[in-house]
Amino acid sequence: MSENSRMDENDNDKKEVSQEKMFTLKKWNAVAMWSWDVECDTCAICRVQVMDACLRCQAESKKDFYGKQDCVVVWGECNHSFHYCCMSLWVKQNNRCPLCQQEWSIQRMGK
Amino acid sequence: MLKEKGQLKFEDKWTYMRPIVLKLLKQEPVSPSEWQELFYDVHLVCLWDEKGPMKLRDALHEDIIQFIKQAQTKVLAQRQEEALLKAYIVEWRKFFTQCNYLPTPFRQLESSLQGKTTAGNSSIQGNNIKKGQNDESIVRKLMLDSWNESIFMDIKRRLQDSAMKLIHAERNGEAFDSQLVIGVRESYVNLCSNPDDHLQIYRENFEAAYIESTDMFYRLKAPEQLAENGVQSYMRYADQKLREEEARALKYLEAGSNGVIQCCVNVLVGQPLPVLLAECAPLIKAGETDRLQLMFRLLERVPEGVQPMLKELENHIVQAGLADMVAAADIITQDSEKYVERLLELFRKFSKLVHDAFSDDPRFLTARDKAFKTVVNDTKVFCLELNTGRAAATKIVAPESKCPELLANYCDMLLRRTPLSKRLTTEEIESRLRDVLLVLKYVSNKDVFMRYHKAHLTRRLILDASADSEKEEDMVEWLREVGMPADYVNKLARMFQDIKVSEDLNAQFRTSTARHDAINIKILNAGAWARGSERVTVSLPVELEDYIPEVEEFYKKKHSGRKLQWYHHMSNGTITFSTNGGKFDLDVTTFQMAVLFAWNQRPHDKITYENLRLATELPDGELRRTLWSLVAFPKLKRQLLQLTPSVTNPKDFTEHTVFWVNQEFALIKNGKPQRRGKVNLIGRLQLSTERSQMEDNQSIVQLRIFRTQEAIIKILKMRKKISNAALQTELVDILKNMFLPSKK
Ligand SMILES: [Zn+2]
Ligand SMILES: [Zn+2]
Ligand SMILES: [Zn+2]
Repeated sequence: MSENSRMDENDNDKKEVSQEKMFTLKKWNAVAMWSWDVECDTCAICRVQVMDACLRCQAESKKDFYGKQDCVVVWGECNHSFHYCCMSLWVKQNNRCPLCQQEWSIQRMGK
Repeated sequence: MLKEKGQLKFEDKWTYMRPIVLKLLKQEPVSPSEWQELFYDVHLVCLWDEKGPMKLRDALHEDIIQFIKQAQTKVLAQRQEEALLKAYIVEWRKFFTQCNYLPTPFRQLESSLQGKTTAGNSSIQGNNIKKGQNDESIVRKLMLDSWNESIFMDIKRRLQDSAMKLIHAERNGEAFDSQLVIGVRESYVNLCSNPDDHLQIYRENFEAAYIESTDMFYRLKAPEQLAENGVQSYMRYADQKLREEEARALKYLEAGSNGVIQCCVNVLVGQPLPVLLAECAPLIKAGETDRLQLMFRLLERVPEGVQPMLKELENHIVQAGLADMVAAADIITQDSEKYVERLLELFRKFSKLVHDAFSDDPRFLTARDKAFKTVVNDTKVFCLELNTGRAAATKIVAPESKCPELLANYCDMLLRRTPLSKRLTTEEIESRLRDVLLVLKYVSNKDVFMRYHKAHLTRRLILDASADSEKEEDMVEWLREVGMPADYVNKLARMFQDIKVSEDLNAQFRTSTARHDAINIKILNAGAWARGSERVTVSLPVELEDYIPEVEEFYKKKHSGRKLQWYHHMSNGTITFSTNGGKFDLDVTTFQMAVLFAWNQRPHDKITYENLRLATELPDGELRRTLWSLVAFPKLKRQLLQLTPSVTNPKDFTEHTVFWVNQEFALIKNGKPQRRGKVNLIGRLQLSTERSQMEDNQSIVQLRIFRTQEAIIKILKMRKKISNAALQTELVDILKNMFLPSKK
């Protein structure tokens, strides 16, 4: 009670201080995780999670697979997704999606 | 000069030759012309008399025998041991010298005799044979064999006995002329004309007698010593005697045979072995390294001597180690630094014992390691239950040592910015990390260490709390070096790579707009960091929520095909808290921020638990943990929030418990409230949630089952057929770098 009354008595200058929020943000370190926007976590061709590099890239084990952005994911028109490395080898044999047998055409590439 | 063939007979010549031969045998002077004549006469006899060589040899033999008989009489006249030996040696040496002279004039005889046996050989070959056989000339052999058959056969017993009596006297401390024994031995050695084994006579007689008398001597003395002076002094006695006997054998015996030492070892060490071994445990316990060294030296000589010592060492380390741990259980189960230091101290102590007492003998090092393993993995001091949260449904997991968790905690203290890591130099930190790896070597459930280590690393990287990023990456390589599974180490390495990618991204984000100097972003690869479902929802305060769409838009421009999930339980920040008493910077988690910002609209209100839950939307467990950190933060004298009714445990908050901001909040320094200051309230709050800890335990159990199955398949692929026992062994071998598979 006494605190409040003391504040009320004071002039504009003090008013400004009281308008200042009790807690103010100084710095925020926000953390998020990204993952490929896929329906199935696993690449049906090499059976490795799409978040990990494909088998071939892992075997080559480039020491700085910098966030492994070079082994990206590719989506077909059928919306199925695979490692780009895996799919580009697959289509040389058979130009159909391994999951639904539709003719394969790229809808978009991960980046 | 020459007579016709057949006219010259052996008998004619022998009368001239004989006196010279006798002179030679007796070592009397022979003139050069006599010497020459002997050569010539031998030549003539061999050339002209068909039966000459045989006759010459027989006559020579006869005279040699006669000569030896005389020598024998002289020797046997001596009654006293030393005199007998002396006389024998004198006669023998004389005779032996002549063995080298006398054959020379009879070369012709030798080739004639040999020519008969090796007829048809060409002369060149004959020459070669002669050269090769020089050492074993027929006359020389005749002389030695004669000596052997007559005098030696007759008195070898007495010779040996006398020599052994002298050695016996020497063992009792009496001095004598060692040349006497050496002389006898030499006669035994030189006497032998067997070209394949010139030590035969020596070995069968002299050495055998030597061993027998040694055996008899110590068979009597050793038990006496043991009974009179006790084990300790007996060990010194045995050790000293073994050395003495080794030196003695070097002096009196031919090299190459270890028979007598084996005999001594058997009598001095082998016989009283049980009595000696009974001393081992007390000596180890008392740390009597000198005596242990002595014992080791002795017992190493017998085949079954070391094994029991190893067992005793192992027992001791396990018992003393565990006793030490149990005695200090209160401190070490709470304090990982103390625990690790205690362990290391034990290790050093026992390693020093092995070094000082057993000179780091590999067998003892192995025993030490085996015992360390037992100590480290013992569960008496603390039981870590792998609580899967479904205790009723899943089978109860055997308790495990908390060691790997404490090791990981200790690592964290060294690698994070802590009072400890600030106090230590880079070198000291490195050597302590190496110590951790040393202990880790003995841990059987290494996967638990990895789990904690990864959690701590995550925390350090997210909070930018590493003391030294170089050290961090070194540590990853060291883990690889000590044989941590590659896929695990690679995961850690990937986190470092990913955090660097994220730093670049943050820099780009901050330059993309001027407005955002209050925000840093870490957008990480979920594959490297996150485990599935551990996200916790929270309703962000508007101050924070404002940033979200802009970050997402920025990210969408940079990348495509990606989705973002916010991990607010990992994010954190700094807020300024203004009170009447001053301004304070608080490092807080985002959850703490969400709770505290609830008061921004109504600074002096009292808010119920229930309303805070509605405002933050935090799950019950998280809200309790967060509130508890604000009402009862260990380091603070004045807490940020106050509450009523007060509780001693976050579980006791009810939905009606009310909280309000402590307007009297201040940091206290030297008993005085400060107007400004900074405090870190993130403290020991885990960045992972309660739920994910449970999932971790669950996943570790599942991962073990999975790894085991994987390994079984691998083994079965390689071998079509395998017994259960063999399968077990191979499994343990494959999996031991991570954990010890249970027998199922
Ligand atoms: Zn693939
Ligand atoms: Zn690839
Ligand atoms: Zn498809």
